[in-house]
Amino acid sequence: MAETFPFPRRTPVRVTFGLGMLLLGIFGFVPAIGVLVASFTDLRGLPGLPIAFVGIQNYIDFFSPAKWADSANALTNTVIFAFASTIIQIVVALAIAVLLNRKLKGRNFYRAVVFMPTILGVTVTGLVWSLIFNVSGGPAASVLQLFGGRSAFFGDPHLALALVILVQVWMVLGVSVIIFLSGLQAVPEELHEAAEIDGASAWQRFRSVTVPLLAPAITANVLLGIVNALQSYQLIYVLSGPNNRSTQVLSLLVYVQGFGGASGTTLSQSQGYAAAVSMVQFVLVAIVSIVALMILRRREAKL
Amino acid sequence: MATTRLRNRATIRRVVAGIAAVAAIGALAACSSAGGGSSDGKPSGKLQLLVSSSDATDAGFRAVNDEFAKKYPDVDVVFSTVSNDNYPATKSSRLTAGNLDLFVVKGMTETPSYAKDSATDDARLASAGGLVDLTDEGFLKKYTSTLLKSQAIDGKQYSVPTGVSYYTGVFYNKKIFADNGLEVPTTWSQFTATVDALKAKGITPFGLGGKDSWPAGLPMLASVAANYPTVADKQKLAEELWTNKAKLTDPTEVKVLQQTEYVLQNAQPGAAGADYTSIPAGFAAGDFAMTVDGTWDQPTIDAAVAKKFDYGYFPFPGSETAADNAFLNGKTELQLAVPTSAKNKTAALAWLDFFSQKDTYQLFLEKSGFSSAQPDIETSPFLQSISSYTSTYQPAWDQIWFANNKAGQDAVFPFNYPALAPLGSDTPEQAAAAAQKAWTAAG
Repeated sequence: MAETFPFPRRTPVRVTFGLGMLLLGIFGFVPAIGVLVASFTDLRGLPGLPIAFVGIQNYIDFFSPAKWADSANALTNTVIFAFASTIIQIVVALAIAVLLNRKLKGRNFYRAVVFMPTILGVTVTGLVWSLIFNVSGGPAASVLQLFGGRSAFFGDPHLALALVILVQVWMVLGVSVIIFLSGLQAVPEELHEAAEIDGASAWQRFRSVTVPLLAPAITANVLLGIVNALQSYQLIYVLSGPNNRSTQVLSLLVYVQGFGGASGTTLSQSQGYAAAVSMVQFVLVAIVSIVALMILRRREAKL
Repeated sequence: MATTRLRNRATIRRVVAGIAAVAAIGALAACSSAGGGSSDGKPSGKLQLLVSSSDATDAGFRAVNDEFAKKYPDVDVVFSTVSNDNYPATKSSRLTAGNLDLFVVKGMTETPSYAKDSATDDARLASAGGLVDLTDEGFLKKYTSTLLKSQAIDGKQYSVPTGVSYYTGVFYNKKIFADNGLEVPTTWSQFTATVDALKAKGITPFGLGGKDSWPAGLPMLASVAANYPTVADKQKLAEELWTNKAKLTDPTEVKVLQQTEYVLQNAQPGAAGADYTSIPAGFAAGDFAMTVDGTWDQPTIDAAVAKKFDYGYFPFPGSETAADNAFLNGKTELQLAVPTSAKNKTAALAWLDFFSQKDTYQLFLEKSGFSSAQPDIETSPFLQSISSYTSTYQPAWDQIWFANNKAGQDAVFPFNYPALAPLGSDTPEQAAAAAQKAWTAAG
């Protein structure tokens, strides 16, 4: 009985897992191999054009002096965007989750409000924040004007990335809050009571009881946040356009190279080069994720 | 007993689900194969038309489609319009899926020998046999021969030019100019004096939609038009840059960036974050006196101004010699081509023939604001008002320059206007140095 639990027969398990693996293989593994193969070619966006094998030329180009300024800019922006948005997201989400875990009047309403941006989707979120930061008569511009200030917001190269991070945090905060809330509800109340009887302050109880028991939720949130942020480009595209260098991240570079061309130029779409950039991005995401997972698991074990 | 009934229900549910799935797949397959044309040479069926969008040209195409539907009621024109930024991706996916009969191609021009690896996507597509050869089609004979010559690939015609636009000029508010005793400037000194006079009266000189990046490139193109006034000058510059005889840090090249920066610095507050589409409304509201823009935007500006005041258009006077600023530079607009993979070539060719007829073409020009690509077509009062600037067709710099795919983004245009403050944070000299570095590194 114990050997077959929870499935009484093996056939349904094999069929369902087999179907799952088949779907994953066809729609996940095969395209991934396809992208790897494409990265060694000069594949272009249009059908019918001759395709040549170019070896590792696309990778050489990415790291070449001619492209390095763009590549380094995209890499830097990607790392800043991923780490800043993840850290801010974790800190703010934890604070909100702790607040919403208390016995609060209208708690469910507040929880719904916090989660709402998550269901809006990228385009609606982008539109909402584009209107908020509209330079001519938008609410943010009007408030700033009251204090005698002016800003180009997403057009300001020193401010654009910070604003995009703000919107990203706003958009994905809800999921983190939900994960933290489920973690908080699993913390036994007796532990808090025992710590209180021992004379621990609220901060000490939070630091020594809540945080250690939330370690698995923190791990999940950090990994989800980093992977999501490293791959995200849609929000940046909607908010500040595809060709704004101050917010260009690797995944946006992949999109622009692979599908965008560049308005007003003769530049061709180069999906082979875009595939090579996406492989560099894959390696970056894999390294960051594995390192983060190792650190967080080790920390979980210590706690 | 109860278990048997449950099993029976489950079996029925599975059978129903299976039938539904098969029916859904069948329906999808039927949808994907819909379209087709006619076998008897008479246009019929679906005609898939894809264009890159602007309000004015969309209105023009819709008007043509309405008239076409009256003449060819058996043809169902499926008109798709996509923003410029998303156009290459949409075009690519729909060509791959084989559901395009007529679409806009860009950069249809012969690649010079010094830049042979930088042919545009659509020129490559034509050379690879991906576009229908239209050379012998009768309707092409209606178009200006010099325009057709400039878009030939390997001596063949693959597209129909829908018009001509000019975009090295400045729209100006005649009322503001008159109220402040200002004349249309014809030299750079007069231009800066005009800007100074406007600023002294507290009037913002320029409106600019910098968030979309490319509108900020229009002053750059306008400056090149004045500082390299002839086609030969521009072609020489392009070749000398490619062969490294000229540098982007040379004085005239830096001057182009300085003049671009001058417009950016004298634009409305927050110009770097403003949408291009917000500019006509700002111009109409008198928020600024001028905007560097293309004639394609004239119908939109005209609608926004709504006869509240008169406005005009003059060539950007980037040179101290008035004769160098005498002509507007332009380009052949939205070239329409038929892919060889088209399922309904008959209807596509019928549409192009219908579009090229004088009455239809006149209708399109009225709505789109384009200058005519056909001789002997009556133009709008606005286009007549700028006819002295367009009497000799001069292609703009971006119609002559071929970007190097191997070079970095700083050398794409190759005048590096996106790096200029407030779009970026560079001075003209720094932007030029970055462009030259990216260009040289590409070899």
